[in-house]
Amino acid sequence: MRRVSIARNNLFQDRRRASLSILGVSAAFILVLVLNGIFAGAMRQVTTYIRTSPADVFVAQRGVTTMHMTASSIAPSVLNKVRGIYEVAWAEGLRFTASTVDANNTNLLTYVLGYNTATGQGGPRHFKAGRAPKNDEAVVDSVAAGELGIGLGQMVTILGKPFRVSGLSTDGTYIANTTVFITTADFAKLRGPTFAYILVGAEKGTSASVIQQRIANAIPEVSVMTRPEFAGHESNVVKSMAADVMAIISSIGFLIALALIGLTLFTATASKEHEFGIIKALGASRGRLTMVVLTQAIWIVTLAIILAIILAITIGAGIEALTPNFAVDIETRSVITSATSAFIVAAIAAILPLRRVARVDPATAFRR
Amino acid sequence: MEKSALSVHQLSKTFGEGEIAVHAVRNIDLTINSGEVVLIMGPSGSGKTTLLLMLGAMLRPTAGSIIIDGIDLATTHERKLPVLRAKHLGFIFQDFNLLSALTALENVELACNLAGTVGQEARKRAFGLLQRIGLEERLHFYPDQLSGGEKQRVAIARALVNRPSLVLADEPTANLDSSHGRDIARVLKQLAKEEQCSIVVVSHDERLREIADRTLWLEDGAFRELDAMVVDPVCTMTVHPNDATSHYQFEGEIYWFCSPKCQRDFATEPKIYRNRASQR
Repeated sequence: MRRVSIARNNLFQDRRRASLSILGVSAAFILVLVLNGIFAGAMRQVTTYIRTSPADVFVAQRGVTTMHMTASSIAPSVLNKVRGIYEVAWAEGLRFTASTVDANNTNLLTYVLGYNTATGQGGPRHFKAGRAPKNDEAVVDSVAAGELGIGLGQMVTILGKPFRVSGLSTDGTYIANTTVFITTADFAKLRGPTFAYILVGAEKGTSASVIQQRIANAIPEVSVMTRPEFAGHESNVVKSMAADVMAIISSIGFLIALALIGLTLFTATASKEHEFGIIKALGASRGRLTMVVLTQAIWIVTLAIILAIILAITIGAGIEALTPNFAVDIETRSVITSATSAFIVAAIAAILPLRRVARVDPATAFRR
Repeated sequence: MEKSALSVHQLSKTFGEGEIAVHAVRNIDLTINSGEVVLIMGPSGSGKTTLLLMLGAMLRPTAGSIIIDGIDLATTHERKLPVLRAKHLGFIFQDFNLLSALTALENVELACNLAGTVGQEARKRAFGLLQRIGLEERLHFYPDQLSGGEKQRVAIARALVNRPSLVLADEPTANLDSSHGRDIARVLKQLAKEEQCSIVVVSHDERLREIADRTLWLEDGAFRELDAMVVDPVCTMTVHPNDATSHYQFEGEIYWFCSPKCQRDFATEPKIYRNRASQR
């Protein structure tokens, strides 16, 4: 049943003040949402190679569980052992290191991957232009190629050696670095015959975990991971590096929101203290006035969070359009977490105004 | 026998204790019949506001009882007082005290909501009352768009919308010019009669005696005999000859004053003030 809303009317009586408050709170939430979006986007980019790989199982040097911030070395003989395991459909050695790709006096940090171009396993998933590399050729990510100012047929330097660009791949460049692909033979000439990882495909109808178990039992000197496990480890290592920074910036965002909501509610309450006295005199209970303050808080947060989501998505799209190596993923989970936290922040911010309203004496209605 | 809307027995309020104790209201007895309009007058500091706050369930008496609709406000639990105020009492304030963010209609409807009536029923009742007092063209106006007289009419509608047994009015005409003041007094009396509710008006305004069924004089926290009271011809305040600070004899008549300043002003132009007083 309809009731006269004191909360809404009081809050929007001064529309300019209410709008400024909502914009301010919204800006704080945008900071949190965009930051989470950049982080989620980076997580997705960092694990793209692993997640889109055709391999069901990844084999690494014992104790190595990631590609990022690590080095793995496996003897070439291990590849044949893996190939001999029951229900392994295929296995390919992947040579891998972190280095730079240089051209036109510009250099970019990169992962260098040497793969078997005959099977294509471990190579680029999509080509924007060109083809797979032959000897002395490389495939460069299209975004990195743009940053380096090069195109098909032009030269780049990788691991100190010049390579001609034979193809441009996609989805291989992100905040920290890019990826380039060369033949496994070229990689072996430059860095020796060992593999970093072995990519393994299971026969149709055989689960990855069964193959994982069989390899682990047969070859104890390696670490064996399913694709989701390997991707999970990869994202965890990046998360652990950025978690503290993320927590600090998110906390700052929420503290700003807390201060702004608190200030808005406090001024809205203080400026209406006499009127709260009148409402009490007319018969409003403490509970009713508590609801007025809380409803005001809910109004501010709801409008601010809706605005923040819309603007965060817009800003994210803008960032992606302006800087192709950035991905901003505003995830539903992040929105729900931020909205829940926002309402908790609003409840905390309402404490002081609530105490003030509770103390208002109805007799003030008679004072002039 | 007439039904009493308010029955006050041996009501007292003392602030502080021992030597610093202030007896704001002393052993007051008062019975107001249903539909009766009682005007309470008295000098500043006489205990009018304290009495009004106690009758309005906003201040606990030190002793005595206040019975409204069979409920003793003095012993009712604190938590139940807001509902009691909303349902059994109406308030009219000197400064109108309308909520600035609400329209005239919403101000009246809110009082209904506080008493537990919501939705269309509340809106209908608020609309009906505002229509009766001639504000149907101002329903959606905010207080700052209304004149003083219109604001007080809205306040009267708000006070009466829940059909309370008792309306407490604190200086309802003080912020209005004489024509609006008279108009408001008339509206108040008419609505009280129609709604069958009693009204206690606390005021210095002599014009309100026209609508009062009874006028009481409160001084030093107790009611006094009004017949003995006289009017200061300069400021028109009612004063008791015993308490008047000064007096002046002019053409065989004695005039009493609330302050020496009034007496001095009178002495400068006694004829003018005497003529004005006789016209009132």
